[in-house]
Amino acid sequence: MKKENVMDAFTRGAKEGWDVGIYSMLPNVLMAFVLIEFLKLLGILAILGKVFAPVMIVFGLPGESIMVLVSSFLSMGGGVGVVTSLVTSGILNEHQVTILLPAIFLMGSLMQYMGRCLGTSGVQTRFYPVMFAICFINAIVAMFIMKIFS
Amino acid sequence: MDEQKTEQAEPNKISKVPIIGYIVLFLGIIFFSGIFTDAKGIEAAFDFNAINGAFGKIKEGGTGAKNGFMFAITLVPPTMLSLGVVAVIEHLGGLRAAQRILTPLLQPLMGLPGVVGLALVSSTQSTDAGAGMTKMLREQNLITEEQRTVFVAFQFSAGAAIGNFLSTGIALFAFSTVPIIFPLCLIMVLKVVGANLMRLYIRKVVKLEEL
Repeated sequence: MKKENVMDAFTRGAKEGWDVGIYSMLPNVLMAFVLIEFLKLLGILAILGKVFAPVMIVFGLPGESIMVLVSSFLSMGGGVGVVTSLVTSGILNEHQVTILLPAIFLMGSLMQYMGRCLGTSGVQTRFYPVMFAICFINAIVAMFIMKIFS
Repeated sequence: MDEQKTEQAEPNKISKVPIIGYIVLFLGIIFFSGIFTDAKGIEAAFDFNAINGAFGKIKEGGTGAKNGFMFAITLVPPTMLSLGVVAVIEHLGGLRAAQRILTPLLQPLMGLPGVVGLALVSSTQSTDAGAGMTKMLREQNLITEEQRTVFVAFQFSAGAAIGNFLSTGIALFAFSTVPIIFPLCLIMVLKVVGANLMRLYIRKVVKLEEL
């Protein structure tokens, strides 16, 4: 087999990027846009906005952004998709996106990673709740810090 | 999210890193950092956004699934560019250089031995690779049960942090009001903080001999 050169390396990475973009990001973003549109038309988004406003205001965010955190927990791609959908709907501004950015990853895809990270590494199950708690603490701390710098 | 594969090697060996590895790692950090985002001169050649370029005007407005589709399509080129550049950095030894630089810091930062260096660098690219290597390190008795738990706490929060940030996160770069290196560094710092919270929990709540 031919030895890989720098250009081969780039194209190999770019192919991976295509797969991630088409098979992972596109469905995730589309799902998020559909979800937000659905909740918006049903009027649920507005209700969520009101209910969670007092909590999210602490981080300088509108109540609707609770949807970003909930979907991040399920998948990072979903969280990112919800952010972009809320931006296009005029609910989030650039500063608020910046506040949410690290938190989406710090508490991102935990449901998947429970198997792929905690399960695979063989860590004792009694530590699982602490593992989750650490992720939530990290996300909360990140939002406070980003609120200052955004 | 899908993540890219990282090089697999013996976990307890660091092969010699050529100088180009350090250079390419440095350039890679500059490239993704966003510090040259507003540059107009030749330094713009080392800026992700400048190289990523623009489609020109495609559409305005839109709602629902169609809007989501069009938006997602605009994310494909930056993702291909980003993972292409990461592959080049890996190819030229940049990841091994990162491992070399990080290894002496592991003990003071998280109480972990240098032997976890490769697993740590891999875990920032691929959750599965990091977790698999961690299991292997424990089975070979190269790390203690406490060290495994602390190390996994590091990996679990923001799994595959750099890989995911430079692919999925790309969608949000354009909105960021700070250079994108800042949120990425914050993520890495908080991962280390999280590992230390686990260390504290084990020391204070769990009896060590129970592990």
